[in-house]
Amino acid sequence: MVKKLMFALFILASANLFVSCAGGSDKKKADQKDELTLPDSMTGDAPLKLSEEIIGDVIQNISSPVEMANLIKSTGVDFSQQMLNSPENISDYSTSFKRALNLGVYSADLGYINTYDKSNIVVSYLLAVKSLADGIRVGQFFDFESLKRMASNSSNLDSLMQISVSSFNQMDNYLRQQNRSNVSALVITGAWLEGLYIASNVIEETNNEDLIKRLGEQKEVVDILYIILQNYDQNPNFKVLIDHVGDLKELYKNVKITKEVGEPKRIEQDGMLIIVQDEVSHVNILPEDLGTIIDKIKEIRADIVS
Amino acid sequence: MRKILFSFLFIFALGSSALYGQCDQDALLKQALSQMGDGQYIKDFAVDLQGGGEKKFSVMLNSRSLYKFNVVNGSGNSGEILMQLYDGDKLLVTNKVDGKVYPAFGFICRSAKVYSLVFSFPEGSGCARAILSLQKQYSAGESF
Repeated sequence: MVKKLMFALFILASANLFVSCAGGSDKKKADQKDELTLPDSMTGDAPLKLSEEIIGDVIQNISSPVEMANLIKSTGVDFSQQMLNSPENISDYSTSFKRALNLGVYSADLGYINTYDKSNIVVSYLLAVKSLADGIRVGQFFDFESLKRMASNSSNLDSLMQISVSSFNQMDNYLRQQNRSNVSALVITGAWLEGLYIASNVIEETNNEDLIKRLGEQKEVVDILYIILQNYDQNPNFKVLIDHVGDLKELYKNVKITKEVGEPKRIEQDGMLIIVQDEVSHVNILPEDLGTIIDKIKEIRADIVS
Repeated sequence: MRKILFSFLFIFALGSSALYGQCDQDALLKQALSQMGDGQYIKDFAVDLQGGGEKKFSVMLNSRSLYKFNVVNGSGNSGEILMQLYDGDKLLVTNKVDGKVYPAFGFICRSAKVYSLVFSFPEGSGCARAILSLQKQYSAGESF
């Protein structure tokens, strides 16, 4: 009797295993198809022009959208949710390519929201980030429940900001360790572009000099980004993005950045030594060039979030 | 026999706790965050130089911005960590001034570009955690 029961259980378990494996195989096929779209599978196929290590080092050089958000807030302009990508759009992002780009977009939006302490909409953006991160298999870096708890208490917003940014940094490190720097490059591009997009809208509204200069200073970042993205030019999705960034790079050629060397200065503030840099850069950007750069930023952003 | 086993376990536990205390990066991060001040967290740097040498990170800094770099030493470090900011080969700031090592320094960036943050233990080895935070952004007409 016991033997028979054991045998039946064995059959059931085997069948279950078979079904699971078959299902897994289908899922694997779907993943592989998606990976080809991304392409996570490029690793080990076509040789990269730059090594993963160099790409990782270069990616670190893209400035944080949080700094842009801080600068925007310092202009005194009101918060505008209309500018942001709606969390309802996440269902439109079905490929890893789109998910990675828009994960970056939502992360920049989250930085902007946190900077303005808009705790009432933080959760929906955290959910969008978590969902897209899961979609590209990096959801483990976002402890949604903890972040949600923090978001519900306005006194925790500084910690929420720190943990959100830190989670993104950890995810970025992990992606590069896993030789998935292509995904990392897309997240960084999305975040950087969204920061510029928000800044562009505020510039149009305020003509703020500090923001215009900051936009002009992105000339160096555009160059860096172009080099990174070109590494993946064999993928059709990347090709379109590279063309966009290439166009932006061309427009930035008219932005002149000059440097002069002044006197270095030392200040002591609250017991901390502060060095004032001796090298000073000046950004010169004509209004017509500013207009074409902003138009291009809007065009790329529309393409990313569509 | 029991005494030998107990001694062995005690030494093992002691060694483990010393090692844990020395390089508990999570605890170091918490400490570094508490010393960051009122600024905006930008990123952190985990430094593990148990075998000596130096660790270099690239950082993009924006102009007209005051950044703070603060660092926390591992409790078991054999020597204090040196933190230096470079523009290419040019040393801009260091946390060691007149022979004294400080836990932080500030840098008012006036030229947006990529800089190098270099960590080392000139007199030993160990681990550390550092934080880069944005303390202030100066507007066009504002002097430093």
